[in-house]
Amino acid sequence: MPERSTAAELRFSSKVYRLETIKKAAYRLSGRCSFDFAVEDDEIICRLIFREAAAVELVNEIEYALRNEVLDQDLRATIAEETAAVRNAVLAYAFSRTGLQNGEPL
Amino acid sequence: MANRFKTLTDYEAPLGLGYQLLPFNFTRLDGSDYILTNQAGEYAVVSRTILEDFVKHRLQPDSEAYRTFKSKHFLIDRDSDVAIDLLTLKVRTKQARFANFTGLHIFVATLRCEHSCPYCQVSRQSDDRVAFDMSVETAEKALDLTFRSPNPAIKIEFQGGEPFLNFDLIKYVVERAKQINAKQNRSLEFVIATNLAVATDEMLMYCKAHDILISTSLDGPRDLHNANRPRPGRDSYEKAIDGISRARAILGRDRVSALMTTTQASLSRVTDIVDEYVRQGFSGIFLRPLQPYGFAIKTKSYRSYSADEWLKFYFDGLDYILQLNRDGVFFAEHYAAIILSKMLTPFETGYVDLRSPAGLGIGAIVYNYNGDVYASDESRMLAEMGDTTFRLGNVHRNTWKEIFTSDALLDALEDSYTGSVPMCSECAFEPFCGADPVFHHATQGDIVGHKPTSVFCQRNMAIFRHLIKLLRRDVETRRTLMSWVRE
Amino acid sequence: MLTLGGESLRFCNIGNRPRFIVKLSDNPELPKPLRDSRGYLSKAPHGVLPSGFSLYVLVGDPQAAEGLVEGRPAIILPDAYRYLGSGDILRVAPHRSGVRVLYRSGSAYNSILLTERCNNYCLMCSQPPKVVDDSWIVDDVLTAIPLIDPATRELGFTGGEPTLLGEDLIKILSACKSWLPQTAVHVLSNGRRFSDTAFTKAYASVAHPDLMVGIPLYSDLSTIHDYVVQADGAFDETVRGILNLKRLGQRVEIRVVVHKQTFERLPQLAEFIARNLCFVDHVALMGLEMTGFTRPNIDALWIDPFDYQPQLYDAVSYLASRRINVSIYNHQLCVLDLRLWRYARKSISDWKNEYMPECDGCLKRQECGGFFSSAKVRYSSHIKAFS
Repeated sequence: MPERSTAAELRFSSKVYRLETIKKAAYRLSGRCSFDFAVEDDEIICRLIFREAAAVELVNEIEYALRNEVLDQDLRATIAEETAAVRNAVLAYAFSRTGLQNGEPL
Repeated sequence: MANRFKTLTDYEAPLGLGYQLLPFNFTRLDGSDYILTNQAGEYAVVSRTILEDFVKHRLQPDSEAYRTFKSKHFLIDRDSDVAIDLLTLKVRTKQARFANFTGLHIFVATLRCEHSCPYCQVSRQSDDRVAFDMSVETAEKALDLTFRSPNPAIKIEFQGGEPFLNFDLIKYVVERAKQINAKQNRSLEFVIATNLAVATDEMLMYCKAHDILISTSLDGPRDLHNANRPRPGRDSYEKAIDGISRARAILGRDRVSALMTTTQASLSRVTDIVDEYVRQGFSGIFLRPLQPYGFAIKTKSYRSYSADEWLKFYFDGLDYILQLNRDGVFFAEHYAAIILSKMLTPFETGYVDLRSPAGLGIGAIVYNYNGDVYASDESRMLAEMGDTTFRLGNVHRNTWKEIFTSDALLDALEDSYTGSVPMCSECAFEPFCGADPVFHHATQGDIVGHKPTSVFCQRNMAIFRHLIKLLRRDVETRRTLMSWVRE
Repeated sequence: MLTLGGESLRFCNIGNRPRFIVKLSDNPELPKPLRDSRGYLSKAPHGVLPSGFSLYVLVGDPQAAEGLVEGRPAIILPDAYRYLGSGDILRVAPHRSGVRVLYRSGSAYNSILLTERCNNYCLMCSQPPKVVDDSWIVDDVLTAIPLIDPATRELGFTGGEPTLLGEDLIKILSACKSWLPQTAVHVLSNGRRFSDTAFTKAYASVAHPDLMVGIPLYSDLSTIHDYVVQADGAFDETVRGILNLKRLGQRVEIRVVVHKQTFERLPQLAEFIARNLCFVDHVALMGLEMTGFTRPNIDALWIDPFDYQPQLYDAVSYLASRRINVSIYNHQLCVLDLRLWRYARKSISDWKNEYMPECDGCLKRQECGGFFSSAKVRYSSHIKAFS
């Protein structure tokens, strides 16, 4: 097993996660390495790419962070879906000249 | 008779029918704690387990987390729906200031200065007034643009170089502004950002007569201040202290404030710097996160420092200031106070450097000595490096409309808006943070900014996390921090 | 505790007249034209009664009083009514031989009941609601207002729920504006009717120069508030009412009665107010009154005020730090956290204000608000005189 690598691979089930979710999670960590994505059958493959060979510990650390971040992004997707309508309504009312009650001018 | 009254359980019945999520963002705070914020900038801190239960609709109505979320408008249930009205009102309140448009108008009276501070990017040691002073014609045009802003409160700030070296221009602008305002009746405020080294008593009396505020520089105790701010005679500190004293005597204590700039040399001296401010009778200090850009500065040699170094400086400073408060001395840190105001009140502050949409143009505008108009002070600094991306026009050649609808400005505002850029739009700290397209353009070549590698993001998140931690540490710390909030 | 009214009193030569309002005067030289609209007030020892008054009110020494009446319409009152003074206004109900003091010119705490009807049913209600048509009260109040001394500093309107009067409340407030332009008016209301924008507009259009409405809010959580006031949906209506009132520039005070059901979340309520309702003009945190519904609900309500000082301090200091005007009513200084003394006000109406035996010799008696008369039933076990 090589001590240092320039790439590592993580797989996620596409039945559980959307590609968008994985990408968003990876974006957050894009300061630490670069990412590449592919879809194969039921899996989303996320490759970590390092400019210089990275120690195993670092790679593990980023993988761990990525998995956690994917979980968080998944939650965010759920929240966004469920609250999109209210979010927009609040903004619309906040910026309008009338209020919620009876459409009366505020 | 007891039958006439229903029980609490009776009134809690609708809660059994489940709840709906209200819009919110979350970010990991530290360890397994997460911070949640809603559109009104209210926050709650819970464990990830609770967060997940909450999102998956498993949270029990009799749990403390449920109650907190209901009270702070993170969820809504069948029992009550006034949450939407209140949320809307709070979001509206937060945005209200923006509608007033440009409030801060910076007039660069001259580039000339007798100091030669290494961290200054603009000043010129010169006697050439024609080349480097703002003319009356330019000032007149700038004033015209100033009063086109619909803001009921206008603040004119004189900067430089050293503005007092062009005192005649200051007098012109002040008197002319008051004349224009006589019919408009807005709230009109004047500030001069000055090193006070060339301020005569006569000039100070003029300031007194016209209600002008003084903002001066005090970088710390004598050795630090003089090392940071060289001038002929090496007596910047003595001049500053003398100036502060005279200004206070003539204008009044609360009309004189001081700012500091952090240099490499300052980093290990935060308690000395705070002590100096306490000694000089200030009731607070602004530990500005103003850090010269990491890239080479054209005219001066300068050693910059990393975000981590500055954060240590800042957190040590906060610790020390909190200790002072515990010892019975009221002393505030103004940058924290601004952020705390965003965290704890429904109001937005007037601070233009930490807001979204960015304060460029719509919050503050800069009229340079030669009439060039810049979206912010940093934009002006950038132009000194040869990058005029954020120069919006010139008072002699462009109309108000051309300046404020220029692509340079609108693109910067729109593209950097944190509510819609990657990472920021989902960040729990977004309501406390701001957009800084100038910084990101200067350091990353991108007005949107790549936040995972952004020093701005790294620094601000560290501060937010730290302040939240302090607010939760103990009741006394929380009270002290709250006492700094002005609104 | 003052006796502000009673029935089956000693009525002479009044017969079956309908209910009427009368203003008292103790001036025997009162100009004749005024006498036929005034009641002459005499307190024992009684002197010769001047002629021409529409009514004679004699307090004390009933035997001597009877002798002086001589066919005049008169009411003879026991000594308990010695507090009466010139300028006071009475409602006289001949069919019950009853008298009710509506207004006392010598008092700073005049509060007029507008109705006993209410659409809440608070666990601790000090004026339990009645389902009754008492609209006749409105006529009495409209009659009395022009008689009230225009120099009166403040006048309160309570109930029941005054907004149930609808248009009549607006009439009463307009009458106050016309007849008593220098008098501050304080209305106590649960605020629910103000969720009706049209009603709030009518209220605002009175444009009274000094009007404030005191509205209770008992929790940051709708379930707890609704439970305390025993009405579903009350929280939402009350909050909407407050928002409407403030939108129309009306002055609003939020009142919170602190007891077992409300003390725990007092800090959260303070934060809720600071975040959502920070534009209110005043917040009053109040002690529990041991009367009305409080008694049957005592187990759900009683907590020694001494025991909730931490929550009270948290709530008050939070509101104060957010620059919201806050006061503490109906709390004794000896049970209050020292740091809260500056917020404590002497708020208990004089007619029901008393002190307990433990207060004898207390040096702070003057500054302290004391107790409600009803507190005799139960009060803090930490009452201690300052020496």
